Amino acid sequence: MDWGEGNWPASLQEVIDEFSDVFDAMERYEMLFDFASECTPLPMEEWCEDTRVHGCQSEAHVLCSLDDDGRFQMIGSADAQIVQGLMAVAQKAINGLPPEEVSTFPVTFTRELGLHDSLSPNRANGFLNMFTRVRQEARKLAQGAA
Amino acid sequence: MTLDLEAIRADFPILSRVFPSGHPLVYLDNAATTQKPRQVIQAMTDYYEQHNSNVHRAVHTLAAEATAAYEEARITISDWFGLEPHRLLYTSGTTEAINLCAHAWGRSNLEKGDVVLLTEMEHHSDLIPWQMLAKDIGVELRFVPVDPETYTLDMDAFEATIGEAKFVGCVHTSNVLGVRNPVERIIELAKTRGNGGDGAVVLLDSAQAVAHDRLGFDAMGVDFAACSAHKMCGPTGMGALLVSEDRIGEMTHFLGGGDMIEEAWLDHATYQPPPHRFEAGTPKIAEAIGWAAAIDWLSQFDMQEVSAHILGLARHTAAELKQIEGITVYGDHEGDLGSGAVSFLHDTLHSEDLAHFLDAGGFAVRTGHHCAQPLMRRLGISATNRASFYLYNTMEEADAFVTHLKGVIDRLS
Ligand SMILES: Cc1ncc(COP(=O)(O)O)c(C=O)c1O
Repeated sequence: MDWGEGNWPASLQEVIDEFSDVFDAMERYEMLFDFASECTPLPMEEWCEDTRVHGCQSEAHVLCSLDDDGRFQMIGSADAQIVQGLMAVAQKAINGLPPEEVSTFPVTFTRELGLHDSLSPNRANGFLNMFTRVRQEARKLAQGAA
Repeated sequence: MTLDLEAIRADFPILSRVFPSGHPLVYLDNAATTQKPRQVIQAMTDYYEQHNSNVHRAVHTLAAEATAAYEEARITISDWFGLEPHRLLYTSGTTEAINLCAHAWGRSNLEKGDVVLLTEMEHHSDLIPWQMLAKDIGVELRFVPVDPETYTLDMDAFEATIGEAKFVGCVHTSNVLGVRNPVERIIELAKTRGNGGDGAVVLLDSAQAVAHDRLGFDAMGVDFAACSAHKMCGPTGMGALLVSEDRIGEMTHFLGGGDMIEEAWLDHATYQPPPHRFEAGTPKIAEAIGWAAAIDWLSQFDMQEVSAHILGLARHTAAELKQIEGITVYGDHEGDLGSGAVSFLHDTLHSEDLAHFLDAGGFAVRTGHHCAQPLMRRLGISATNRASFYLYNTMEEADAFVTHLKGVIDRLS
């Protein structure tokens, strides 16, 4: 499946629709705060050097695996709510997909949330580092499974 | 005379920017870099449109114009800081200036076991070059602690160690705390008691200071000062190492190549005198011209007035922030000296989250460790939000910032 603009997984499309009704950036960030509580977390006891996403201002950790059906699963947590909210959205986007699809999943989906200006790629952006890391892990899992 | 803020702001095209959200830009990240007035932008454009040429190399008209403008810029800049032009070595900024000092002076004048005294308040650019030197030649690094209650250097510790120190590197004005260190006292103690009474060599990281302070370099009696043009309305990628009369002769060349030699053979060369000995390769010509234009622009103001204005905004903002429940302000803004930087943290809202909400309202502030991680550790935190003011900021902007911040905190808690 070639994911991208106009063709997102249904669970992500729902989120995009929700955001598209909101014009105020403050409100969008608040929505991400709400999403943060829906994130399937990686409990703090399991945070370690291996799970740590480097290059984040916030402390962010992810753990990627395949479920019994060989589908991709990511759990994660961050101390910054907006990063964790984006993780929750990312979970909706990629969890349950075959790992090969996750490994090339376009990070541009954040643009569809209307938050791209302040979430655009830069070193201070925890989310981008997180997502790049997740894609790399998906590639490894896909290779391991093959 | 007070500053005519309306006229000042009119010189900065970027300050009239309005975001698609309808929020006007409120630029409060001046400690990271200041905005550029159109006079600076124009000077650099003029250079590229009318005079672009390499310097020091050809006899055609453009080359003569470019060389003259480049060297005249050095005179303008060195006059501003109060030293002779040949002792103002162009670099890409404060970072390169300190690295130049460590390589060109440190390597040939310090040796294994010599004590290099730094402080816990240093920006990484006045820490890492000395760590590298310690690893390479075995100098010993010591650090003056910061008192986390008063946000000042522990001067008793400084006095206790200075006798053993051969070299002192100290940040003039902190980019995190806005605190101006007692640099006069530091220089005096270093010169009278440093290095067993023979005097220690002092470098001041003046990156933040130059935004509002002309330094008076030779009069200060300091050996080195490092600074960046972009913190004082000039272009990025430009700065200088200012060097005293006593030290310039002790420096050995560092980068080798074109423009820094007098004559070259296959197996050896003779070198230009300073400053060109230390400026190998095609230099930052437009940037030097832009920096001089920034100084020409700043020359219309009384810098004490500029400093008082900036500090007034910082003091007011710090006082307002302290009234907000959950906010801690790091640094002391009550004194008469210091910069426009106000660092703060909310006790539950993450600094990165807060920065996004501030940005959504058009407020540009800095978030992070500000390249001063040892200082952060001493303060027991890993990051702060930082609002930093400059001469074009207004009290209305400061108040709007505080109001917006309060609104965000109310909304989220
Ligand atoms: C105190 C201090 N030192 C050094 C620097 C480094 O300056 P530059 O990045 O221009 O080399 C900065 C700039 O952030 C600073 O604030």
